[in-house]
Amino acid sequence: MLIRTYLLPVLAAAMLMLLLVACSDGSDDQNPASPTPQPVEAVETSTPTPTAVPEPTPTPEPVPNPLEDVSAIVDPENLSWPRVVEGLNGIVSIPAKPERIITASIGHDEITLALVPRDRLVAVGGVSKDPTYSNVASMVDDTAEISRDPEGIIAQAPDVIVTSPYFGDDGVAALTRAGIPVVQTDLHNDLDQRVNDILLMGYIYGEVERALAFASELRGRYESLLELTGGPGAGPRVLAMTNYSDSIWVAGGNSTEGSVIGAAGGTNAAEVAGIDGNQNTSLEGVISMDPEIIIIPQPLEFGAEEFRQSLLSNEALSELPAIRDGRVYVVESRLFTTLSHWNMLGAEELARILWPDRFPEPITTPFSEPE
Amino acid sequence: MRAGGLTRWPSYRRAGVTARLAIGTSALLLLTIGAILASLSLGPVAIPVGDVASIILSMLGLDAAGFGRTEQLIIEQIRLPRILVGAIVGMALGVSGATMQGLFRNPMADPGIVGVSAGGAVGAVVAIATGAVGLFFLALPAFAFLGAMAAAFLVYGIAALGGRFSMATLLLAGVAVNALLGAVISAIIILLPDNGALREILFWLAGGLDSRSWEHLRISMPLILGGTALIVLMSRDLNLLMLGDDEARSMGVRVGIARPVLLAAAALATGAAVAVSGTISFVGLVVPHMLRLVVGPDHRVLIPMSAAGGAVLVILADTVARTVVQPAELPVGVLTAFEGAPFFIFLLVRNGRRIYLN
Repeated sequence: MLIRTYLLPVLAAAMLMLLLVACSDGSDDQNPASPTPQPVEAVETSTPTPTAVPEPTPTPEPVPNPLEDVSAIVDPENLSWPRVVEGLNGIVSIPAKPERIITASIGHDEITLALVPRDRLVAVGGVSKDPTYSNVASMVDDTAEISRDPEGIIAQAPDVIVTSPYFGDDGVAALTRAGIPVVQTDLHNDLDQRVNDILLMGYIYGEVERALAFASELRGRYESLLELTGGPGAGPRVLAMTNYSDSIWVAGGNSTEGSVIGAAGGTNAAEVAGIDGNQNTSLEGVISMDPEIIIIPQPLEFGAEEFRQSLLSNEALSELPAIRDGRVYVVESRLFTTLSHWNMLGAEELARILWPDRFPEPITTPFSEPE
Repeated sequence: MRAGGLTRWPSYRRAGVTARLAIGTSALLLLTIGAILASLSLGPVAIPVGDVASIILSMLGLDAAGFGRTEQLIIEQIRLPRILVGAIVGMALGVSGATMQGLFRNPMADPGIVGVSAGGAVGAVVAIATGAVGLFFLALPAFAFLGAMAAAFLVYGIAALGGRFSMATLLLAGVAVNALLGAVISAIIILLPDNGALREILFWLAGGLDSRSWEHLRISMPLILGGTALIVLMSRDLNLLMLGDDEARSMGVRVGIARPVLLAAAALATGAAVAVSGTISFVGLVVPHMLRLVVGPDHRVLIPMSAAGGAVLVILADTVARTVVQPAELPVGVLTAFEGAPFFIFLLVRNGRRIYLN
């Protein structure tokens, strides 16, 4: 009797709630705008007793949806599947949480591995496996390798492909015809847009919570850096130079290296001289930029140290502040040229070069990893 | 076979070769010196012409002062070697273009016809793609020169198979080898994973003179001057070869020797030029045509004039290339095409059949 009267209704209510939860929307992400659901503390089992008129509870302030401003998400409120995003290649619907992901772009691979367990990234391009250019080479040692050949990509049976505009329209069309959702997105080098990239990819992968946490981590590191350096343009004139064969290249405004210089609190000498992107210049052009510090984000195996020595010993450059003071540094190329959060490590490395007194120890804090 | 328009001498043919050579070469020499001085004073760092002159005088051992150390270093170590490399590259391309057009009796012939440019490009592309450029200083020019020479020997070898040399076979072999080497370059570019190297290859293919040093001048000048001198010495033979093999033989030309020597000299000069500057287009094609309109088709005049004309064109193009978007630079090959092509079209329209077509 006791069981029929009390326990059965409680069990029935509990099962109903479970059923409702299971059938709600099939989402893997909780709506970041909604308050986190609290666990049910106890099920009321006794007969309810009449109570006084309840106090009116204050209306909670609406929590802004952090996905609201993420460009390319068509409906930020939709955390169920299918999800729809607007890539550079148009509107794409992702039918279910992708378990098999391919990007065919090194920057996308690096961000993807910060958001999902590595077994979900089923194949990578050769560049992502090359430690000269890739910050995740050791993480994808055993991952299958693909080229941009659609056939090889289709053979990996990906659930989704997130890739760069450089992939090629014909390849995208071929993969789309094969029924694979392909999202082409740009990757950016300033922090706000990078957070946008991370949140968008987290949304596509069904990992919004992880993306939010990771974006917050990046912001935190960036703000710590700003606090110590004073922000872009606060510090000395820095010139990022590389030398391939006999040509000299410098990184101006809107370049990845330039954004790292800014994040480290430096003044990008090439940008001040009016150079946009990565441009070819001459030694004379370098003199006109008058850098106080020169960094060489070039792999050692491609002659970075020889280039450094040639600059230091070049008589024509001897009057430059950077040469006179011996402030020419070879830096880790892959941290300065990739379009991913790994630039933050580049900025931290450069900040230590620019402000040795403020960064007496190397910053070695690793990025958090997805569970 | 007579060489059609190429052997029609304009109305001033009566003027003595020596007089025309003296007047034309003096004029172009003055123009070359003027272009060098103008180019020396222009660049990302402003240096007054007076300072440039003083620096040059001091380099010549004369007593001159009033300029800063930085300005002196810029002129001595950066601008002057670069401009001189540009001058000899232009010289090589102009001379080789005139030689090829004469040898092939074809107004469309240029130094690239025997595969030299494409061979040099393959050598350079391989060096960049494999990272061999970092092996030693001047590795890139070395690879480019080897590629240029290998291509030239291949084309010539095909044309001379069986001991019988054929100009028609040489032309066709050049087309085939150029196509093959172009395909090799395309394949390397497509398969190359490194965007930095890719950008460098594309820049090299467009031709450039940035960072040219005295070393570049030192390694290329003997080859270019040697090839040019040989062609100048054989310019009379070149004139006679244009009349046809039989007529040339009857006039005492050893055709079987003169032709391959002229080809080799042009290939040598072009190969050395390509090695230090990349593939600078249009100079070898357009300069001889321009000058032929002025001085006529006599190679004894045309060859030295093409040397000076090529030098002037490349110096001017390079000056624009390094100043128009300073402190960034444009590939000089882009500028030679921008400068040369419209002017060439203007000449074609204005002079019609006087651009000597076969």
